[in-house]
Amino acid sequence: MIHQSEDTSTNIVDRLLESQQQLTAVEKFSQRYSSVTAPANESQYKDLIPLEGVGEGEQYSFEIDLDACSGCKACVAACHSLNGLEEGEIWRNVGLLTGGDDFNPVVQHVTSACHHCVEPGCMHGCPVRAYEKDPVTGIVEHLDDQCIGCKYCMFTCPYDVPSYSKSKGIVRKCNMCTDRLSAGQAPACVQACPHEAIKIRKVKKDAIRAEALDGQNGSSALLPGAPSSRLTVPTTRYIGKPKAVANGKPVDFHVGKAQHAHFPLVFMLTLTQMALGVFAAALLIRWAGSIDSRGLAVMNSAGFGSLVLGLIVATLHLGRPDKAYRAMSGFRTSWLSREIIGFNAFAGAASGLLALSLFSFWPDWIAAQSGMAAVATVLTGVLAVECSVMLYVVTGRPLWNAVRTHSLFFATAMVLGCAASVLVLAASGWSGSATLRWFAVGLIVASGLKLAAELRLLKHLHLDDSTPEKLSAQVLVSDKLFHGYARLACTAMGGILIPAMLAVGLFSASAVVPAAIMFAFVFFGEVIERYLFFAISNARRMPGAPN
Amino acid sequence: MSIEVETTENGTTEKPKRSLPPLPLPLPMERVFDGPLTQEMLLSPGKFGLGMVPDRLSPDATTSMVCGFCSTGCSLNVHLKDGQAINLSPEVDYPVNTGMACPKGWEALTPLYSDDRGTTPLLGNKGSKLKPVDWATAMETFCERFKSIQAEHGNESVAFLGTGQMPTEELAFLGALAKFGMGMKHGDGNTRQCMATAVTAYKQSFGFDAPPYTYDDFEQSDVLVFVGANPCTAHPIMWQRVMRNPHSPKIIVIDPRHTETAACASHHLAIEPKSDMSLLYGIGRILIENGWIDRDFIDRSVNDFDAFESFVHAFDADRVERDSGISPERQHEIAQLIHEGQRVSFWWTMGVNQSYQGTRTAQAIINLALITGNIGRPGTGANSITGQCNAMGSRLFSNTTSLLGGHDFAKEEHRQKVADILGIDPAVIPTEASDSYDRIMDGIAEGRIRGLWVIATNPAHSWIHQERGRELLKKLDFLVVQDMYSTTETAEFADLYLPAAAWGEKEGTFINSERRFGLLKKVSRAPGQALSDFSIFQLVAHYWGVGDQFAEWTDAESVLKILARISEGQPCDITGIQDYRMLDDRGGIQWPYPASNANDAQERRLFEDGRFYHLDQKAKLIFDDPKEMPETTSEAYPFVLMTGRGSAAQWHTQTRTGKSKVLSRLYEVDPFVEIHPDDAKRLELTHDQLVSIESRRGKMTAKARIIPGVGRGRVFVPMHYEDVNQLTLGHFDPYSRQPSYKDCAVKIAAV
Repeated sequence: MIHQSEDTSTNIVDRLLESQQQLTAVEKFSQRYSSVTAPANESQYKDLIPLEGVGEGEQYSFEIDLDACSGCKACVAACHSLNGLEEGEIWRNVGLLTGGDDFNPVVQHVTSACHHCVEPGCMHGCPVRAYEKDPVTGIVEHLDDQCIGCKYCMFTCPYDVPSYSKSKGIVRKCNMCTDRLSAGQAPACVQACPHEAIKIRKVKKDAIRAEALDGQNGSSALLPGAPSSRLTVPTTRYIGKPKAVANGKPVDFHVGKAQHAHFPLVFMLTLTQMALGVFAAALLIRWAGSIDSRGLAVMNSAGFGSLVLGLIVATLHLGRPDKAYRAMSGFRTSWLSREIIGFNAFAGAASGLLALSLFSFWPDWIAAQSGMAAVATVLTGVLAVECSVMLYVVTGRPLWNAVRTHSLFFATAMVLGCAASVLVLAASGWSGSATLRWFAVGLIVASGLKLAAELRLLKHLHLDDSTPEKLSAQVLVSDKLFHGYARLACTAMGGILIPAMLAVGLFSASAVVPAAIMFAFVFFGEVIERYLFFAISNARRMPGAPN
Repeated sequence: MSIEVETTENGTTEKPKRSLPPLPLPLPMERVFDGPLTQEMLLSPGKFGLGMVPDRLSPDATTSMVCGFCSTGCSLNVHLKDGQAINLSPEVDYPVNTGMACPKGWEALTPLYSDDRGTTPLLGNKGSKLKPVDWATAMETFCERFKSIQAEHGNESVAFLGTGQMPTEELAFLGALAKFGMGMKHGDGNTRQCMATAVTAYKQSFGFDAPPYTYDDFEQSDVLVFVGANPCTAHPIMWQRVMRNPHSPKIIVIDPRHTETAACASHHLAIEPKSDMSLLYGIGRILIENGWIDRDFIDRSVNDFDAFESFVHAFDADRVERDSGISPERQHEIAQLIHEGQRVSFWWTMGVNQSYQGTRTAQAIINLALITGNIGRPGTGANSITGQCNAMGSRLFSNTTSLLGGHDFAKEEHRQKVADILGIDPAVIPTEASDSYDRIMDGIAEGRIRGLWVIATNPAHSWIHQERGRELLKKLDFLVVQDMYSTTETAEFADLYLPAAAWGEKEGTFINSERRFGLLKKVSRAPGQALSDFSIFQLVAHYWGVGDQFAEWTDAESVLKILARISEGQPCDITGIQDYRMLDDRGGIQWPYPASNANDAQERRLFEDGRFYHLDQKAKLIFDDPKEMPETTSEAYPFVLMTGRGSAAQWHTQTRTGKSKVLSRLYEVDPFVEIHPDDAKRLELTHDQLVSIESRRGKMTAKARIIPGVGRGRVFVPMHYEDVNQLTLGHFDPYSRQPSYKDCAVKIAAV
């Protein structure tokens, strides 16, 4: 129902629409700053950044005056705008401490960015050396073009600082506006704080280190609820508001949040640990001499297949998989590089073993080494999985502690090694063998122990304090309850019930179908366990930033 | 790594380049220091006094304009490329914000580029999805429908609801067009929800709506008293001025909640909700009884002191303690601080304004300033901090409650003066003020109002007792919504939607809290066929057939000149403001600025001569007995619900701030409710647990935030969450008709 309108009306609409599109600010008003080259706000921040250079043993750090911070968060928005970050990308965040009591209630906002640590977790974790700690200023810079997007720094930084850009396939983070500082200008956040609450100061690295390591029982932390400073020796200094700092708690202190699950890593870990288990089982069988070389070849093929699949899946985790070839270069510090080297060695040994067991054209003296090759495969596999374990242990996440991670990862190897062996034996015509039954028993024992270890977490639910373990347990029984039950059901079926039936010889005629069902349950059970390993890991970060 | 600045032949500096180490390493060990991802983050010298800026966003010109969110009136320096805004930073050389902005200001451009901007008029029938039409059709329908409603039900049956977010010139155009051109009698704005109380209090006490202060007063005081105000969150750049106060001031915060501002205070009085009036009278009594008053000033400049003295006698310390929970010792301590202060300033915001007894509460504050002589000197004043960016423009020039320029509809000489300047028949000027917002809503309920034109406000979200408000919007025969977004909660109810250009896409002026005219500029192209509100009013005038009446209203600047002529002789005389360029060059200009006696100081305050705007040039002490909350707590509804601003990154109903992904990372996106640990324990609530909040009118769910600072028996929910006004009780200040958003009874239960 578009009406025909008279000419003058059309004219006025057209005229107004046309003038609406004309931009007039430049022509109509004086260009006050047209010839100004020095920053107009220079005098406002000149006291907020160091005047002279950095001395020996010193570095730059952020100093935050909590008495001055009003929680306006201009620092976050200014950092975004003045650094031209992606939509929604922030390099600084503001958390909230609350609590106290009726007489001293606490409402304290806490701004934080990268802490430019003395021992940067991101840098030590990076497998491609995409981080550099400036030898003079101590600023931890990220080399965007070197990054392969493995996101491991997001695990090794206890403060949740590096942020991943899906569109770019890399992480980025605060560089303390190093270019601005070297031009004598203040970082964006320093410039933007209406209350001069953020300053750049020089600090003595030794003093910072001593302070970080001094805390009693590992409790030295930047603020209540922040991760232990022992992990990375952060340099940011929070000054003022002693009461708020003493009595406050992060606003989310009592609340566990489900974490990102990293599916490629879930499958990579499950598959590579299964590979170790299968090779170990094959070695046991070889020593026991209970099956023939064809059976061993099938076992070794299964192990090799699992390993290769696991390693291929791992590359899906990379933001820039085409740069994956750089991933071993950080071996001096990075457990991820070491893991990759470990798995390369594992894969090398395994392919040798496989070649020996698949082909018969080898000269005798070479063929005779297959036992050695099997041992070497298992040993490199153990080393590789140990690297996987360490990769998580060094992050300092409480749930990823050494005991628990070791238990889970090697138990996965045992559980899946047993389950896969049962399946391979059943499929290769050894359904009624004692070996199969022994692996079924082994599976029951390993599954039971593993499940018990996992369920131990639930005892933390009864604690009064909101410990990290309690928060993880809370996430498990709330957000991830379905996964928890699924995990339980898979273990009950595949790890206990079916193998029990196999162990007592119920399917001695042909165990292929029940073994396959059992394996499927066990495998998915382990996948869910590993999913939960990430999802309830309760990453630590600076206190109380909004969701 | 070092930064090298290359100099080209003509001497200008180019973007800095990183020096790269050689790459002799084997490929797996390579280390790449440069490349497209690194280049993307390069900074370059910004020129134009900017310091370094992202190389990609390097401007070719800059211009400054006043921000379009709150009433602080910060100036933003917009970075331009080919005249189009590409980035911004706060203006350094501006007396208001001196190089600072809050997150809303930093992100002010982002909401312009949201993909739900209105790009064409939309028309439809009730209940159907609106369809795009051209402007001619939209305007013909607009006139046809409103005229037919007026023909059937009288001119008064069509009304408008405006805003404090539009430039002064547009507000004046809307008010003049609607009343003098279209024959409407009733129009009001969302300023009724924010500033009406302060307006009424000032008019009654001082004789004119005149906030007396300048921001410099924040820095000059030695005692600052904040009542129902949380500037740390609501006005962060004003708080900047407090932080820069060199006199180590005592800061007294009167607020039921332990807010960010309370946390910074030297004295926080966590009073019972709505007991501020009693406490203020009690402090007045202590001041008078101890002789801690300024007799000379009272004799010279204040009326009704004796009546006030005997009135406050009843507010003895025990009574005030019963009302407010503040101990007699504490009351005395505060009075003494006020007495001992050499320059005491009093500040209030929505905690006072949005109250069923707000006018008298504001006057209780004004009274303290008057009896202690804390007004008209640096660092003093009874100072209302305004809400919206142009609330004051609306107060003075929207032609709703007062006739253009703070004139009085009821006065024949005022009507004649305005008619003469506008060249119109004085008979077209109504002889009384518009109905207030709440009465317009009641008018819809009663069938008196049948057509409504809503401009740049969002009543379906913000109006108190939301369910009733929405029912009333549905009841209208014809609802026109004019907004930059076609997706506001209110636009959902529209029969006709008109796409408006936004802040940054048009010119005009805002008047900030300290009476400063600040300039808006056109730095971005409006999307599609969106037109500035000014142009839309021109179109309406044309199609309504009153284009000739507004022939002189060719652009915003010409309207400011008309308004300046109208302001002559008024307290808000701005005849000295010649044009926009003058405002731009001077860093804004505070009213009054009469041509005859222009004072060029950049920061000016009122009443330095002790003369007020009443005929006898004296201020009045106005007071009344405090009243109980109309909906007190009960066993069934045991909590008082308080509402207020959630964070500095959120603005009102979030039609704009909700569009910025950066801002949305700075506050809790999901609703939360603050509740005291003891109350939470009694209700067996745990942190972050989802709870229902229910009043007699409606219900919402929110996550429990358990903190002591909210106080026992009270809960707090930020006002930005849409469901909050499902709960609020429609009750109003009898003088200002401002809704009382911060007191209704609710119950809480785990979901």
